[in-house]
Amino acid sequence: MNSLRIEEHPVLSFERGEKITFFFNGREIDAYPNETIAAALHASGVRKLGESPVLHRPRGLFCAIGNCSSCFMIVDNQPNMRVCVMKVKSGMHVEEQKGKGELELIVEN
Amino acid sequence: MKKSYDIVIIGGGIVGCSVAFELAKRRRTDVLVIEQAYLTSGATGRCGAGIRQQWGSVINATLAFESTGIFENLEEYTGYKGNCGLNQGGYLILAYTEKEWGQFHKNLKVQHSVGIDSYAVEVDGINEIVPHLNTEGLYGATFCAKDGHADPFHCTYAYAGGAQRMGVDIETYTTVTGFVVKNGRIQTVRTNKGDVQANIVINCTGGHAAIMAAMVGDELPIYPERHQILITEPVAHIMNPMVMTFHRHFYVQQTPHGSVIMGIGDQAEPVSLNICSSWQFLEHCSYLITQTLPVFRNLRVVRQWAGLYDMSPDRYPIINHAKEAEGFITIAGLSGHGFMVAPRLANLLANHLTEQQDSLDINLFSAERYSRGELLLEPSVV
Repeated sequence: MNSLRIEEHPVLSFERGEKITFFFNGREIDAYPNETIAAALHASGVRKLGESPVLHRPRGLFCAIGNCSSCFMIVDNQPNMRVCVMKVKSGMHVEEQKGKGELELIVEN
Repeated sequence: MKKSYDIVIIGGGIVGCSVAFELAKRRRTDVLVIEQAYLTSGATGRCGAGIRQQWGSVINATLAFESTGIFENLEEYTGYKGNCGLNQGGYLILAYTEKEWGQFHKNLKVQHSVGIDSYAVEVDGINEIVPHLNTEGLYGATFCAKDGHADPFHCTYAYAGGAQRMGVDIETYTTVTGFVVKNGRIQTVRTNKGDVQANIVINCTGGHAAIMAAMVGDELPIYPERHQILITEPVAHIMNPMVMTFHRHFYVQQTPHGSVIMGIGDQAEPVSLNICSSWQFLEHCSYLITQTLPVFRNLRVVRQWAGLYDMSPDRYPIINHAKEAEGFITIAGLSGHGFMVAPRLANLLANHLTEQQDSLDINLFSAERYSRGELLLEPSVV
């Protein structure tokens, strides 16, 4: 009930494997390998992924196929990452992106 | 579109629209601008829209310096309600060879003689202006804080709107198919929407100017050359100036919106009207520019396109009266820097046509200089 993950499906079966964890805004969140970051966040009830650059309105999944740039987040200090098509990894740090990506983040690494 | 006009201008880019505006301001308002598609649909809307005063010759430096002055107040000057997007973040021009560095010092003297506030930057000072620039292989750079870029669409529409309010007609989606010349004078412009009588015809068609002029028998050494350009996704502001190099033939700027626009000049580009994009450009341009600005290496490219430079043999504007057809004037050959000098050239041509004084001699720009062998030489062109 709490999770958006489909547990039973008439046709598909899910072999999710061992649970892993990653960090969203510093908070530890459960995920399964082979899930996208966006899927794992949604399963944990996180739908607001960032803010629009000018009016700072909430932004979430839109196209979900890596085309539209609505789901840009900061992943391990890299801005503008498309979390709808990016796989989650154990220990990853994912943060909300407020506005346009800051390239300086990359330079400092 | 009436059947007859005092002046017919062909081409609805920055040149055609600014000439129309300047003529109307001098009370020559019986003017028609004919545009093949929509305003800015040619080279103007495809250009990098840089405004650079750092030139190597007095003429180009003067044209750019005085044009910049007009760009600085273009909204008020034309009565435009929008924002022409002028962003004076400066131009940083990189010297990658000793010869270039020596030339830049000569250029600075020329620029200072015109009143341009440019200066040399030593290698260790470059990162103060552009923090993320890779200074490897550099001898130095020159910088002018008043250089920058503007929005080519808004600037053109500012001129066009101002001209229309003074009574100029603009006819878009109209193709010029030919001319009638009678007794050595231009008489009629033929279009796909019918004939238009004219006392004067001004050819502002950029890369198509030679084809247009040839229709009245005027052979001009202007040729079209494709130049490609790309734009990235927007990111937070990281670079103020336009960065350019003649040695590596590229320019790159970040727009106020945050996207990065970059282009390179391909030395092997053949003469043609081709305006298709190529993957070779995408690869070459990305490689070259991320060598100098590694900070952009992970940016996604969202779009690329191409437009035509209207090249002249000495990279100087041509303003030419056709001998074969009195009243037919070509203003073209702007060689990739037409946007930044158009405001001043429009003034020059309008002053000439209304018999007013001008500090520049319009005869300097006549195509006769080629037959006399008196080429004007500009050392600093991408």
